[in-house]
Amino acid sequence: MSEEHPTEHARPTGSEAASEAAAVLHTVREILDERLPGAVVGLDGTLPEGAISLIAGRLVEAATLLRDDARLQFKIPLFVTAVDWLDREPRFDLVYQLRSLHLHATVRFKVGVEDNLQGLPSVPSLMSVWAGMNWLERETYDLCGIDFAGHPDQRRLLMPIDWEGHPLRKDYISFGEPVKFSDRGSFPPDAAVPRGAPS
Amino acid sequence: MIRPPDSPGTDQATTGAATAAEARTQQFEGAPAAATDVSGAAQPVFVEGLNYIGETPDGPLMELNMGPQHPSTHGVLRLVLRVEGEVVRYADPDIGYLHTGFEKDFERVTYHQGTPWTDRMDYLSPPGNNLGYALAVEKLLGETVPVRAQRIRVIMVELARIGSHLIWVGTHALDLGAQSTFLYAWRDRERVLEINELVSGVRMMTSFIRIGGLMADTPPGFEEAVRAFLRDFRARCDDYELLLTANPLWEDRTKGLGLITGEEALAWGFSGASLRGSGVSYDVRKDAPYSGYEDYDFDVPLGVNGDVYDRYLVRIHEMRQSLRIIEQALDRLEPGPITITNRKVVLPPRHELDTSMEAVIHHFKLVTEGFRPPAGEVYQAVESPRGELGFYVVSDASNKPYRIKVRAPSFQMVSAIPKLVVGHLVADVVAILGSLDFILGDVDR
Repeated sequence: MSEEHPTEHARPTGSEAASEAAAVLHTVREILDERLPGAVVGLDGTLPEGAISLIAGRLVEAATLLRDDARLQFKIPLFVTAVDWLDREPRFDLVYQLRSLHLHATVRFKVGVEDNLQGLPSVPSLMSVWAGMNWLERETYDLCGIDFAGHPDQRRLLMPIDWEGHPLRKDYISFGEPVKFSDRGSFPPDAAVPRGAPS
Repeated sequence: MIRPPDSPGTDQATTGAATAAEARTQQFEGAPAAATDVSGAAQPVFVEGLNYIGETPDGPLMELNMGPQHPSTHGVLRLVLRVEGEVVRYADPDIGYLHTGFEKDFERVTYHQGTPWTDRMDYLSPPGNNLGYALAVEKLLGETVPVRAQRIRVIMVELARIGSHLIWVGTHALDLGAQSTFLYAWRDRERVLEINELVSGVRMMTSFIRIGGLMADTPPGFEEAVRAFLRDFRARCDDYELLLTANPLWEDRTKGLGLITGEEALAWGFSGASLRGSGVSYDVRKDAPYSGYEDYDFDVPLGVNGDVYDRYLVRIHEMRQSLRIIEQALDRLEPGPITITNRKVVLPPRHELDTSMEAVIHHFKLVTEGFRPPAGEVYQAVESPRGELGFYVVSDASNKPYRIKVRAPSFQMVSAIPKLVVGHLVADVVAILGSLDFILGDVDR
């Protein structure tokens, strides 16, 4: 294979890959606009891939369309997560990454979620659309503190069942948190006490 | 049976024989309707508030814990099973025993410092995880690594796939009682680890694939070692098939078990061999090629029935396809650079530090601060031995990732365990778990 120049093998990155991704995004957006006018807020221009912003209230309709439309067929839920932008309005970006084997593409959908000072911010559950959303939503509830309305089994998944707080939020303190021992009470977060010192 | 400390059986060796026999009789007479507790008194097997859940038309329902230390859960998975006799009526997987919070940890270190954590997620395929992370960050930076680095990456990742599948076939067969397969598989996997050690100095957690290229170029003897492995392993694949594929015991234990259709598997988020066992042709290496996979000639084996046996066949054939890919990559391997030239991203070669002030500055800045990719976010998927492994990286233009989410293939498969095992016998749960080939480090992260 000596005749091949090194750069010929390079996968498209930068502008070429970005334009491929942008073309798929526009196709998906056009179909959503045509079938469900008003469900799409707009295109999220985050480089280099971009995403489609949806309205939380019409999430279930939009998801069903994404799965069932013959031109889209987003049948694989890849992941769900939330990105916490602490000081921004709305505070959270709920991110859904879906894959379509028909389009040979993966597309990211986002829902802006306002913080809820009385409890957890709530969005509709998509378990009725993809069975695999069960644990994806449980994990997001557990780690990011998003409530999925209509989820039949919203328990903590990765953290212990009695854990307080949601670790992947940006205001969650990673270190110095009280260490709990079920039989010895809790260890207070006291800076003067070195970690591991006997209580 | 737990023998009480003051029971006659433990007192004296002279009286021990008779009483131990008595105890044995007592134990077996009672089983399965009764067992003895520490006081020696007969206790019913079903205890209200302990394991007795309720009555069904066919008998009492009992709750059992399988794991988290059960060997056939391949890690620390706990399954809460409710069984009616031998039949599973309800299953609830409990995960989190290996939850390490890697996604949170990424947010406090520079991009390069995150690489070793990726090794420890799916600990049977560290190069694959390194590759996914490196590709995601490279996409964010808009960089493409040189061809030699891509070829070596492919070789290392495919070797890891073979190593991972060997552990899978060994433990899966061991769970179902075929012990010899396990020993052969371990022997061959050792060869893969030796190649890892040769190139990186480390047997498992290599961190050999780095952002911007590789840790180092391959040492002398690398190509010979890989070719020797290819030559030997081709015949070994046939050995595994000889032991299992047409073995009537193996067929009885695996055919028609743990069925899932292609459509269901898609909705559950399956990928990799567990999806292809149901006949869905989806492989990230074909669908969204990376690292030059579009240049290699290989097939994607597909199953038909979506049962344990088909998932087994798919993985066995995948090992042969990996051999083809490695062979092609070796044939095309030519001398050349192994990292990108952007000194803001990769460390300068060691010899430059002796003569170049710029190299020293770059080295210092990279080690102390790291690099700052432009603000944005990417999703990059690779085909790990278990399926689609994806890294979603959000950058806020600082030197640390703002947020990283790992799309773990095993996570989706473990979430579908209740669907697959309910209605099967307890003994078959072991076969179904093995056929999914999940790694708890990958599930919990």
